[in-house]
Amino acid sequence: MNQIINISTGQLLLALVFILIAQATSFIYHLGLNRDITIGTLRTFSQLFLMGYVLTYILKTSNPFLVVSVFMVMVVSAMFIIKGRVREKQIPYIIPTFFTMFVSYLATALFVSGLIIGITPWWEPRYFIPAGGMVIGNSMSALAISLERMFRDMRQQKELVEMQLSLGANYREASLNIFRNAVSAGMIPSINAMMGVGLVFIPGMMSGQILAGTDPLIAIRYQIVVMLMLVGSTALSSIIVMLIVRRRCFGSGEEVLLSPH
Amino acid sequence: MPPLLEIRNLSFAYEGSTALVFDRLNLTVQKGEFILIKGPSGTGKSTLLRLICRLNQPQGGSILFQGNDTTSIVPAKLRSLVSYVAQIPQMIDATVEENLLLPFSFAINAGKTRPGTEELKAMLCKFYLADISPVQSAMKLSIGQKQRLALMRALLQEPLLLLLDEPTSALDHESAAMVFSIMERLNTEEHKTLITVTHIDYKPETVRPLIYKLVHRSLHLHESDH
Repeated sequence: MNQIINISTGQLLLALVFILIAQATSFIYHLGLNRDITIGTLRTFSQLFLMGYVLTYILKTSNPFLVVSVFMVMVVSAMFIIKGRVREKQIPYIIPTFFTMFVSYLATALFVSGLIIGITPWWEPRYFIPAGGMVIGNSMSALAISLERMFRDMRQQKELVEMQLSLGANYREASLNIFRNAVSAGMIPSINAMMGVGLVFIPGMMSGQILAGTDPLIAIRYQIVVMLMLVGSTALSSIIVMLIVRRRCFGSGEEVLLSPH
Repeated sequence: MPPLLEIRNLSFAYEGSTALVFDRLNLTVQKGEFILIKGPSGTGKSTLLRLICRLNQPQGGSILFQGNDTTSIVPAKLRSLVSYVAQIPQMIDATVEENLLLPFSFAINAGKTRPGTEELKAMLCKFYLADISPVQSAMKLSIGQKQRLALMRALLQEPLLLLLDEPTSALDHESAAMVFSIMERLNTEEHKTLITVTHIDYKPETVRPLIYKLVHRSLHLHESDH
């Protein structure tokens, strides 16, 4: 039962049928997504194969510097994805976002692999890299949503913010609602995921473990830890990033620096 | 006693532009003065008011409030003393009373006495708003009513200087007359210092204003009855 069935190259290519369906849909209904689907497919293949080879190498060598380096590359990649989604040029948010992501995700991954799962050494790549990857992937989306929302609202509601500043509000008071809405918009998806998990969907990691022959009762324990970890790391990184970036939306006189487009 | 406000050699250009909007502009305002700044649209009149309360930052020169450089005053403190009322009145999505009490929700105004409902009603009458109730939504008011409410709200935190940015430009003739009457009364009865920018030809009836024209990137005293 625990025998893992390998997917041959031919079988892997057969899975491209799904892409053909997506391409056909886009083509027939002029969705304009053909190019993105092609690029996405190529990237899925190349990035995952690359990751596969890197992980094989790392698992063999067991070098903590290598493990942290891979983690760093994952954070840098996440940063570029956020930059592509947020597209904000006026406010410098990249550097604080990068450092917050690196530190808070590292702390979360360490807490999970070192304390909850209790692995020695803490950087054991078999646990540390998947945990780190899940934290980065989920919180990255949350940060992109929160940042995009805050910049947009700050621009759209500039006059309302200035009205409050003119009545003696400090920048924190004048942007309180914008800040709250932006942080919660980023956190809602990971909270919603806790609502639907096990009923509506079986998460990827748990599916993977079950497919690989793990006892479902062990797999769910891992999944519970992961779900909680994702909510916590999202909250931690969102709050820190948003506090720093919100200050940067205001100048030295606590004036709004963003102007409506 | 230093003047209430003193602007020295102020220079300003919009971000990304080298063209100066103000070039070594000077202005001195004494307590109790009623100042009108006139000039065509696009000459930077609103920007001048925004610079005084630091909603924009100048490139050069200094602005002193009661003898202190405004950059050395905590921004929230400065803006509770120098209250700017924008051209388009902004309301939060709440009742009239909640809008009026908004300044008291900010830390800087924590020590000030909140007016009670009866006091607010009496004030609403003075601002030609006797027909509106403190518990109704502020979002549904007309723009003229909102402008008078915005003025009243700015005054509740008892600023020493009021900056009014084209307070009547969005209003009809009748509403504009009410706002002008309020402004004049604030000066004559409550001895408030006002700086109003306007592009329309307004001649106050009950106060003697100092009228400046904004031309060639600086202010020129145009008319004074003092």
